Amino acid sequence: MAISKEAYSVLESIVGSENISDDPVICEGYRAGPGGYECGLGYERVMTKVPGCVIMPKTTEEIQKIVKVCNRYKIAYVPYSTGFYGARSHPHVSDALLIDMKRMDDFEIDEKHLYAVVGPGVIYSQMQEEAMRRGMYIVVGGGGSQVSAIANMIGDGWSPLSHRIGLPHRRILGTELVLPDGELVRLGSLALQDDPFWGDGIGPDLRGLLRGYTGHRGFLGIVTKMAIKLLPFQPERLEPSGISPHTALQLPTKRVKWINFTMPNKDSMGKAMFEIAKAEIAGAVTKVPIFWRVIAKAACKEEFWELWSKENEDTIRNFHVLRVLLIGFTSEEQMDYDERVLMDIITEIGGEARRTRPSDESWIKNADAAGMWLMCGGYVSVDYVIETLEHAIPHGENYAKLKKRYTPPLMPDYADPGWFQSFELGHQGYSEFLIYWDPDENTDGVDHFYLETSKENIRKRFYTSLLGAHQPLYLTGPAYGPNYHKWLLKIKDAFDPNSICHPPVPLAHDEFVERAEWMRPMKDWESPESR
Amino acid sequence: MPETKVSLDVTNLDNFVYDMSRCIKCKGCTWVDHTYMPGVKFSTRCPSATRYLFDSYGAYGKMRIGLGIAENRLDYSESYLKILYACTLCGACDVGCKRNLDLEIELTLEALRINAVKEGRGPMPEHKTIAQNIATKHNSLGAPHQNRVKWLPQGIKAATKAEVLYFVGCSASYTNPEIAQATVKILNAAGTPFMLMADEWCCGNILYSVGMIDEARELAKRNIESVRQTGATTLLTACAEGYRMWKVDTPKILNMSTADLGFRVVHLVEYVDESIKNGDLKLNNRVDLRLTYHDSCSLSRLSEPWVPWHGERGLWGVVNPPLERRRGTNGVYQEPRDILSSIPGIELVETPRKRENTFCCGAGRGTKEAFPDFALWAAQHKLAEVKDVGAEAVVSACPWCKNNFAQAISKNGENLKALDISELILASVGA
Repeated sequence: MAISKEAYSVLESIVGSENISDDPVICEGYRAGPGGYECGLGYERVMTKVPGCVIMPKTTEEIQKIVKVCNRYKIAYVPYSTGFYGARSHPHVSDALLIDMKRMDDFEIDEKHLYAVVGPGVIYSQMQEEAMRRGMYIVVGGGGSQVSAIANMIGDGWSPLSHRIGLPHRRILGTELVLPDGELVRLGSLALQDDPFWGDGIGPDLRGLLRGYTGHRGFLGIVTKMAIKLLPFQPERLEPSGISPHTALQLPTKRVKWINFTMPNKDSMGKAMFEIAKAEIAGAVTKVPIFWRVIAKAACKEEFWELWSKENEDTIRNFHVLRVLLIGFTSEEQMDYDERVLMDIITEIGGEARRTRPSDESWIKNADAAGMWLMCGGYVSVDYVIETLEHAIPHGENYAKLKKRYTPPLMPDYADPGWFQSFELGHQGYSEFLIYWDPDENTDGVDHFYLETSKENIRKRFYTSLLGAHQPLYLTGPAYGPNYHKWLLKIKDAFDPNSICHPPVPLAHDEFVERAEWMRPMKDWESPESR
Repeated sequence: MPETKVSLDVTNLDNFVYDMSRCIKCKGCTWVDHTYMPGVKFSTRCPSATRYLFDSYGAYGKMRIGLGIAENRLDYSESYLKILYACTLCGACDVGCKRNLDLEIELTLEALRINAVKEGRGPMPEHKTIAQNIATKHNSLGAPHQNRVKWLPQGIKAATKAEVLYFVGCSASYTNPEIAQATVKILNAAGTPFMLMADEWCCGNILYSVGMIDEARELAKRNIESVRQTGATTLLTACAEGYRMWKVDTPKILNMSTADLGFRVVHLVEYVDESIKNGDLKLNNRVDLRLTYHDSCSLSRLSEPWVPWHGERGLWGVVNPPLERRRGTNGVYQEPRDILSSIPGIELVETPRKRENTFCCGAGRGTKEAFPDFALWAAQHKLAEVKDVGAEAVVSACPWCKNNFAQAISKNGENLKALDISELILASVGA
C-alpha cells in the first residue's frame, strides 16, 4: 500500500516540504543498483525496491517523530546515511519510507578526552582531517572514506590500521539510538548525563545489540548520534599532493612511513605479523593481495587486464608482500627504534625491504574502496573472519579453492587467497575474501558462491562474521548458536512489534533463497513455513 | 561475451548505458577528493547535490534516473527536467568518478540533455529564449548585433591580418567590456598583433550545453569556417566557457579532434603566462591585494582536448582500441597562479577546494538563465569559502564567474571584490 496522503502530510509537517518527496523521479535516484556493493546480483534484483518516499530529517527528535508516524500508519522504513552498503541498506519492500540522514551532519570534537561526536551524515575523511589537524587519528574503515562513520562503526569499521586497535566496538562511546517504535535509548555515559565520553553505561551494554558482529543493516533502530574514540597520532602534517587521479598524502618520513617487504613464503608472512605484533610496533601490518597492486599500477581498466594477463597460479602463489606502516607516535626516536626492530624481525625471517613510495594513496585518509570496481564492474566481500591469524590464513586459502568452482563467472584470480592481517597487535587475525565479476554475465554462479561460503564456514568451522542480516538466518543461526536465530528474532519482535523497521531483514536472505528459483536447489536446511 | 559497439557520440544515449549502470554510489562525484578533504566544512564539490540534497541531484542519482529514461522505465516530468538542468555541468563529478572508476559521467549528462531535446521535452523555456536570441541576434543575451564591437577602446586597433585571432564572446562583448578591453591592451603591451572576426557570432556554449545539438552543430560549422577563413593560427579568448566550447565541444559535435581544428585554442592566461616566461610581458606595477583564485570549470577540469573515439566494449567492460580518458588532470591550473604570484603586492591564498576540487560558481552552461536562485546560491556558497581564508577579492578567468560572484556580493552586501584576472594583469602591466 502506498504511503497515504494523510501520512505524507504528517511527515511533511515534521521536516518541511523541501525535505520530503514521493516523486517517482526523486525516489528513482535512491535505487540500490544496478551498480554498487553486492549490486547487479540476484539479491539486489530480487530483494530491493525503489522507495515510495524519501524524507530527510535534521534532528533526533524528528527521527523519533517520523518513526512514530511510521508505526501509526504501518509504513515500512529504512535508515540511510550515505547509501554505499549496496543492496542490503536499501528498501526491500514496496512503498517503504527511506530516511536519508545526510542532513544530520553535526560534528564536535573533544581534544582533551580524544573523541568526536558525529551525526550519521559525517563521513570518515572529514573526521580524519579534523582529527589529524589536532594530532589524533581514526581508523578509516575499508568501506571507504566516503561512508558514514556511524554506519561503518556499527557495521564494519576496520582497515590495515586495525593492527593497533581491531574491532570497532570499543571505540563506540556514548550513543543515541532511536528504537523501531520511536523510543530514544541513550547508551554509555549518555544514559546518565549529557557527556558521551564513555561507552559503558548503566545496565546491559547495548552496543553489541546495535552492532551484532558486522551490523544489522538498520533493522533494530536508527543510531542518530555517536561519540567515537580518537587515537593519539603524531604532530607532523601529511600533506596532500597531486592532481586527480594521482593524489596522495606525502608522508613526513621521520614520523610516518610505509615499508613493503618481500617475504620468502606465506608462513613467513604470518610469522612476521606475529613478531611485529609481539614487539608492539607499527601502525598497520597487512598482506597485500596482488590484484590491488596491479590496480595501483594500472592507469586504466584496459591496462589492468594487460598486466593481469601476465599473472598465473605460480606468480600468485609466490607473491608474498607484507606492508607495514610505521608511526612515530611519540617521537622520531621511537620511530627510529621501531624501524630497527622491524628490520631485525624481517631479516631474521628472511624478508627483504622493497623500495616504497613515501606517500599514502589509500588507507590513512583515502580508503578508496571505489577502486575495487575498476577491474570488472561487480564486487562484494563474501566474508570477513576476525579470529586468530592461524584461523584467518587458511580461511582465505580454503575459499580460493572453493572459488575455482565458480570461476567464471567470477574473475580469474589464479587462486589468490584474499587479504589477511593482524588485528589488536596480533591478538586477532583478520581475513577478508573479495570477489569480482562482470555484471553483464550470468551472475547465478556468484549468488551460489556467496551462499556456498556460508556452508563452507559451517563445514570447516570458520568463525565467520557474516551472520544475521548477511546470510540465511535459518542456515547460520542453528550452526553458530545453536539458538542464535531464535534470540535474534525474539529481540526483533520485542523491539519492532509492527515489523516495519527494514523488513524482512534479518530474514531477507532466507526470503531471497525462497524467491530466486536458481537458489532453491541450494536450500538444504530447515526453516519454518511462516513466522 | 559478445563485444558491443560503443562510441563517445553524445547524440546516442545508448553509448552511455554502461556508464550509468556501473555507478556504485561511492559519491566520489560529490565529495572533495578524500586526500584533499578539508574537514567538515567545504567538503563537497557538486553544487547540485549540495543545494538540493536528495541523492537524485547527485551524479549517482542522475545515473540511476538516466538509466530509467534510457530503459523507458521513467517518464519525462517537471522534476526530471529540474534534476537534469539544475546542474552546472561543471565536471566535478566527472573528475571525481575518474579518480577510481573512469565512468563518462559528464558525457552521460550531456547525452541525457540532448536526448531530452530530441524527445521534445527539453530544454528549459529560458534556454529557448537564448536560442532565439542567438538565431536572430547572434548573441545569447539578445543585445543588438551591431553593438558587438562597441567595447573596442579608442587607440587600440585590431590588425587586418595576424596570427592571433581574439574571439571576444558574448559576455565580454556586451556585459563585461572591461575584460575585452583589458585583453586587447595586454596583447598590445606584449607586442602581439591580433585580429577580430569580421562578424563574430556566439560560440554556441549554451546551445550545446542544454542539449540543442542541431543548432549548436550548425553554429559550430559556421564559426569554424569563419575562423579558418581568417588564416589565424591561434584563437585566443578570455572567457573560460568560450575556451571549452572552442577547444572541446566544437570538435566534439563535429566529430573531429581538437588537433584537427586547424588553429590552436588558447586562453588569455596561457598566453600571458608564456609571455611572462619568455620575457615579452613584464608585470611591474604593484597591486596590493590579498586574493584567491577561482578555477573556472571550463578552463580547468573540463578543458582537456577532445579526441573522438569509437570501438568495442567486451568482457569486464574492457574497451578496444584503447581510450585516452579525459580526467581533468591536465587542465589549466598552474598558469593563472603563476601569473598572480608574479604580480608585485598580490598575496595569493588558496581556498580549501581548489583546482579539480573547486566548487563551481553556479553560472555556466545554462544554469544562471533557468535557475537564477540556484546559481546565486552556488556563488554565495563559494564566497563563504573565500571569506573563510580572509581574501579581499575572488579572481577568476571567466566573465560568467565574475558576474555571478559580483551579483552574489552585491546581494549580500559583502566587503569583497570580484575581479577578472585580465584586470589584474592590466593593472600590473600598466598599459
